[in-house]
Amino acid sequence: MSTGPLVGPPAGGTAVPGALGAVYDRGYRPYVGPRGGRREAALAVWRLSVRRALGLRRSWRQKVFPWSLLAIASVPAIIEVGVAYAIRDDPIEFADFNFTTYREYVGVSTALLVFVALSAPDAICPDRRHRVLPLMFSRPLTGADYVWAKLGAIFAIVFGFGFLPQVVLFVGQMLVSDGALDYFTDNADVIWKVPAAVAVLAAYYAALGVALASLTDRRIVGGVALIGTILVSSGVAGAFIEASDDEASVMAVVNLLALPLGVRDLIFLGHVTEDTGMQGIAGGGILTITGYLVVLLGSLAVAFARYREVDL
Amino acid sequence: MLPAPPVAPPVVRVGGLTMRYPNGVTALAGLDVAVPKGSVGLVGANGAGKTTMFRLLLGLVAPTAGWVEVAGRSVADDPVGVRSRVGYMPEHDCLPLDQSAADLVATFGEIAGLPARAARQRASDMLDLVGLDEARFRPVGGFSTGMRQRTKLATALVADPELVLLDEPTAGLDPVGREEMLGLVGRLSGFGISVLMATHLLDDVQRVCEHVVMIDRGHLVLAGPIDQLTQRTGVMRVEVGGGPADGDGRDGAARALGAAIGQRGVNAALVDEQTLDIDTSRRDDTFDLVRDTVAELGLRLYSLSTRHRSLDDLFVHRGPQ
Repeated sequence: MSTGPLVGPPAGGTAVPGALGAVYDRGYRPYVGPRGGRREAALAVWRLSVRRALGLRRSWRQKVFPWSLLAIASVPAIIEVGVAYAIRDDPIEFADFNFTTYREYVGVSTALLVFVALSAPDAICPDRRHRVLPLMFSRPLTGADYVWAKLGAIFAIVFGFGFLPQVVLFVGQMLVSDGALDYFTDNADVIWKVPAAVAVLAAYYAALGVALASLTDRRIVGGVALIGTILVSSGVAGAFIEASDDEASVMAVVNLLALPLGVRDLIFLGHVTEDTGMQGIAGGGILTITGYLVVLLGSLAVAFARYREVDL
Repeated sequence: MLPAPPVAPPVVRVGGLTMRYPNGVTALAGLDVAVPKGSVGLVGANGAGKTTMFRLLLGLVAPTAGWVEVAGRSVADDPVGVRSRVGYMPEHDCLPLDQSAADLVATFGEIAGLPARAARQRASDMLDLVGLDEARFRPVGGFSTGMRQRTKLATALVADPELVLLDEPTAGLDPVGREEMLGLVGRLSGFGISVLMATHLLDDVQRVCEHVVMIDRGHLVLAGPIDQLTQRTGVMRVEVGGGPADGDGRDGAARALGAAIGQRGVNAALVDEQTLDIDTSRRDDTFDLVRDTVAELGLRLYSLSTRHRSLDDLFVHRGPQ
């Protein structure tokens, strides 16, 4: 990357002398500043996609949904901190109050699935529908760069929306507890478990959302496809579990909603819980991780294949 | 004697360029051409291979055979580097309709590798250049066809490319919009930006381009400076008067001149009693011969000119070069 002034001298401009000076037709000013390559191009697409998903530089209507969702995702954390503050002097009387654990709070982030169902198709489909891709790929950008940028944008927002409420919860609980330092040391393990589990969830949703959205140029179809796929798989897994005697089945691995939660359980507890429908099944953890990776890598393969060849 | 001025290297060079698609269609067949800097028209009927040529120049597909060089860079070795110095304006609608022109052009400046601040500054300059400074903050969805075409041009220019590829830039424009677009395209080479304009509107090429590359079904038909190509008619038109009257009392000047130069081995075709088309392809001194013969016959020479061919003539009577 070279450096230098941002603009060069005018080309094709003319000076018109006058009594008090000169009026210049600015003409065309060549650009002689730094130029980036693929990395900068991909970052630009990433920024564009993040801005779009958050409704930045768009009308207020486009801002309502993402910021409302962040607020909604944060409400349980704020309530928990408020309750903890209110009962700090009389914890025995409120011993039955069921505080949400950090592990369970990652599950709250499942609500972000709705956000992904709206934002992933919104980031992907219009580019194909309005035939913007030829303009994109006539720049120093490859199909793979484009997919990484879109995945990165959805991942970043889902991660942020899933992680920020947990930060609120952790910091709030720490501040209202009897000893902030004690609380911190007692819960130090969540410092890595929470971001790891939220990242697992965000990567999964981003890959699945982008892959399904890449198959269509209509946003509504992309969103319905994501929600529909998740619900149908969940229903199928539920039927298998119902049919089994011990309320667990190997076939629960087809539950696309539960797979990232199973990985979350493995991160926090080291074993899967009833959330996955595979508790007590031998090799349930391995099966969950395998199912998760198959869905994640399969989604990535679909997304990259869709942008392997670009046309004008 | 002054030394000859240095010849600028071509902005595009292709050699043995062949593109055969998996379905068996041969879009380009062994194309060899050097496109000089300046404004160049890429002319051909639909399906001639123009879009395939653009895809190859941008490095979006690999050729079946041959090589491509753009702005001195090998497209095969550095497609991304080539694309960072080339602007592209598609023929079809390609703009996100819910963005403002300023945001849109700046975004594509960033995707072309410009820092965000410079991209916004350049976007502002380019929208000013194409006459959209007043409308820059309006959503593109509310633009007319002409405004959208100019936005596309601003998008192609925002990163200050060495070469800009324009695909049918006047498609769908009304006469006023077409004039404006051609005016803009005509200015670009003055800014140091070479233009390769694909179109089937030969009049547009003749108006704003200095060179033309004509392809047909993947083969090169002709390439060269438009001035020279349109002079290659091989026909001189002569208007004379003051000759002996024929039996009907009409001026026989053209007939007399035709007979006289015919005896000297030059073919001529009578257009009317005062006008003659003379074949200049057989002798280098045909102009001198006509002048001398007119003098010998005592005729009055009203005009003597080389007939210019239009690009339409060249295209209609094309044959492989």
